[in-house]
Amino acid sequence: MTAYILRRILYLIPTFFGATFLAFLIIQMAPGDYLTQLELDPKVTPETIARLRAQFGLDRPVYEQYLLWMNNLLHLNLGYSFAYQAPVLEVIWPRVVNSMVIVIPSTLLLYLVAIPIGVYGAVRQYSLGDRILSFLAYVGLSVPSFFLALIAIYLLLQLKFRTGTLIFPVSGMTSSGFEQMPPLRQLLDIAWHAVVPVLVATANDIAGLSRLMRGQMLEVLGLDYIRTARAKGLSERVVLYKHAFRNAVIPFVATLGGLLPSLISGAGFVEVVMAWPGITPFFLDAIANQDLYVIAGFLTVSLVLLMIGNLISDLLLAWVDPRIRYD
Amino acid sequence: MKKALVVLAGLLALASVANAQTFVWPQKWTVAKPSEVRRGGTLRASVISDYRTFNPFITAEAGNVPSIISPYGLVRRDPSTGDWIPYMAESFTVSANKLEITFKIRRGMKWSDGRPITADDWITTWRIHTDKAVGSNSYDSFFIDGKPITLQKIDDYTLRISYPKPDATAFAVAAFVPWPAHVFGPVYQREGAEGIKKMWTLNENPDNIVSAGPWLIESYRPGERLVLKRNPAFGEWNKDEAGNPLPYLDRYEIKIVKDTNAQLAEFLAGNIDVLAPSTVDHISQIRQAIQQGRLDATIKVNASPVASSQFMVFNWNKSSDPFKQNLFRSDKFRRAMSHIVNRQAVVDIVYGGLGTPMYTSVYPVLTQWINPRVPKYEYNLQEAAKLLAELGFSKKDREGYLVDNRGRRLEFNLATNAGNAQREQMAKLIVDEAKKVGVKINFSAIDFNTLVGQLLSSGADRPFDAIIIGLSGGDLDWPFGSNVVPCKGNLHMWNKSGQCLDPRETQLDALYSRGRTELEFQKRREIGFQMQQIEAQLLPVIYIAGHNYHPAWNNRLGGEHPDALISAIWGQRQLELTFIKR
Repeated sequence: MTAYILRRILYLIPTFFGATFLAFLIIQMAPGDYLTQLELDPKVTPETIARLRAQFGLDRPVYEQYLLWMNNLLHLNLGYSFAYQAPVLEVIWPRVVNSMVIVIPSTLLLYLVAIPIGVYGAVRQYSLGDRILSFLAYVGLSVPSFFLALIAIYLLLQLKFRTGTLIFPVSGMTSSGFEQMPPLRQLLDIAWHAVVPVLVATANDIAGLSRLMRGQMLEVLGLDYIRTARAKGLSERVVLYKHAFRNAVIPFVATLGGLLPSLISGAGFVEVVMAWPGITPFFLDAIANQDLYVIAGFLTVSLVLLMIGNLISDLLLAWVDPRIRYD
Repeated sequence: MKKALVVLAGLLALASVANAQTFVWPQKWTVAKPSEVRRGGTLRASVISDYRTFNPFITAEAGNVPSIISPYGLVRRDPSTGDWIPYMAESFTVSANKLEITFKIRRGMKWSDGRPITADDWITTWRIHTDKAVGSNSYDSFFIDGKPITLQKIDDYTLRISYPKPDATAFAVAAFVPWPAHVFGPVYQREGAEGIKKMWTLNENPDNIVSAGPWLIESYRPGERLVLKRNPAFGEWNKDEAGNPLPYLDRYEIKIVKDTNAQLAEFLAGNIDVLAPSTVDHISQIRQAIQQGRLDATIKVNASPVASSQFMVFNWNKSSDPFKQNLFRSDKFRRAMSHIVNRQAVVDIVYGGLGTPMYTSVYPVLTQWINPRVPKYEYNLQEAAKLLAELGFSKKDREGYLVDNRGRRLEFNLATNAGNAQREQMAKLIVDEAKKVGVKINFSAIDFNTLVGQLLSSGADRPFDAIIIGLSGGDLDWPFGSNVVPCKGNLHMWNKSGQCLDPRETQLDALYSRGRTELEFQKRREIGFQMQQIEAQLLPVIYIAGHNYHPAWNNRLGGEHPDALISAIWGQRQLELTFIKR
């Protein structure tokens, strides 16, 4: 087992260099650079732009830029943002923390809701409840989250027009005057702002995950050992939860490692539509401006987390599934 | 009696000092009288993209934090006349040879940390902006044709600015915003440009940010909200006509909302107070909410055009394709192309009726600069066909496109940046109209940076036929682009061979320089009118249309501009004179 882990960690090294170089290359292949926008400014001379290019090191060959960046990276320095004129980590970190306010509750909610729905759908297959839930799941799968967010905003506004109060905020993470609130009020204020984005961010995933769980559970329930268990006269509850569920849930253990990079990668377009100060709008801006090191730095952090996450997933699987052996 | 006289003299002396110290904000800049004003409260606004730094020397985006907390310099413009008036200077004198302006700095002005504002602050600020290693965006504004503009401290309250040649935009340069020498100077001495670049990042404690303007930073939450508070030091010398200190507001809050739909939702919900919607749909939603009594707000639809342009430009440098090169260099051809641009349809379809057609490089919002007698080659397909026939395109091929007597088809490519729906729509309208007269245009939407790369490439053979793009950023003093009009200019987009090819280009180049050095406004305007006449005949670029400015505000606010002043240039209000009614 130890040998296996060591081998896996060794494999990570070439993967890391290959993936970062590829990412760097793709960003650099996009036409223009951070200063292209400035070239259309009637007040800036070409000489000034050329000088800024040299200052930012954008006039050097790509491989040279990559090596410089890599050298910084190995010193745990993600580089400098052109737009913010500040270290990348410094500008990214607060956004990542803001995103976690949505991502963590939304992930917990996802598992807490989707798995029971899936189990219910399998145990009561084709019942009225199952059909209703299936229908909702298909709707949830087919409506993209940004559109769901727009619908939520529309409904909140309509409610405000009818009743005169906003039940939940239309956008943002904190209310005006947040800085003057006592800590507990601040916490409640953020929670109040997070409700709608969390629900919207979770809706799509619940649909997908609950269908998966239902399928898994149905498959396990059709296996021989379940019939054996029932024949032994075990109560239906024990059969379902002690035998079937434990085995049906194994594939989900494998997805736990994948949650690691999603922790920092934000909640997606919900953040843009609902003006949540998370990483998504920030990252989109960085891409639009070609803020090279912000994009590359963020991708690198995601990549490292993904590699670690995968490793953890494999180890977890080995631990819960006796059929898997790493020797 | 004697005593009374002494007291009176003392009082008079005090009053004159107070007058010298105070800048009185004229009543004509606001609809509200000082007697109706209530003090206090918070104005809530929103912006599309996040702030990036508090540092005035490295900030690059429009609407940046330094320019919000401290927007003014020695002189500022009077929105009611457009004239430059002394502001942080109490007066100025222009030398006989027009190369020097001497400013008397207002005494008694203080930085927000209590230190006096003196000539040193301007000198240090200018030094840092013009240090190449700092990379300031203002660097180029301190040079005219590569020659430096210099500042000289005569004494603590007298400053002389010297120009290499007489310049119509001299005051625009002199209006640069000073920053505290006692904060930036020591760092600059110790660590140079690198030290300056590290200062006042977003992580800086807001209490350390020193301002001369109406606002101080109270707090900033990344990607979310910037909260500004009143700067009491500003109110000591900025008063309304009743002598009340400005601004009236306690706070100015700016929410960062990346999505315009979310901005609209916040405005409709009454959570933000000001908005300038740009789409017909958004405008009608606001109107509806007002009409149905769900929102107590005001919207001024079509308050003015905006200060930006949209145009089609043809490439004169195509040595690899002489047929096209001759075509694009022919003013008859370009005039025919102007005749196929249906500007009214663009305004109706692209801008939903809320736009303004354009005919010259001067933005329609700069009304005093627009030459009303300029010929407009309006939408007229017969006229276009006639001109093309004169160029030898009178026959059509089997597909219905014009060919010359050697059978060469009248066909070219047109590009604009993908994702700009309005430009894409304009292009499609032009393609359709061109087809009616038998001109084949192949339209493609390409990546913005690729487009800019093609447009700004130079030499005898450049890789595009025609492009639709826009420019913004003009000047009230001299509304012609310093690197657009001159033939060597970086943005002389139609001809980047590095020299004038058409005698009228040479004329425009000369007139540009003459106008820029003409300090008499009326004479300068005459030169501008003449330039527009030549532009209209030469048609180096074919102007299309632009959208309009539609400011909206929640009626909680008072103190907006009188209607005559509301425009894309002056905005809807002076924040300093804005107050909260309820």
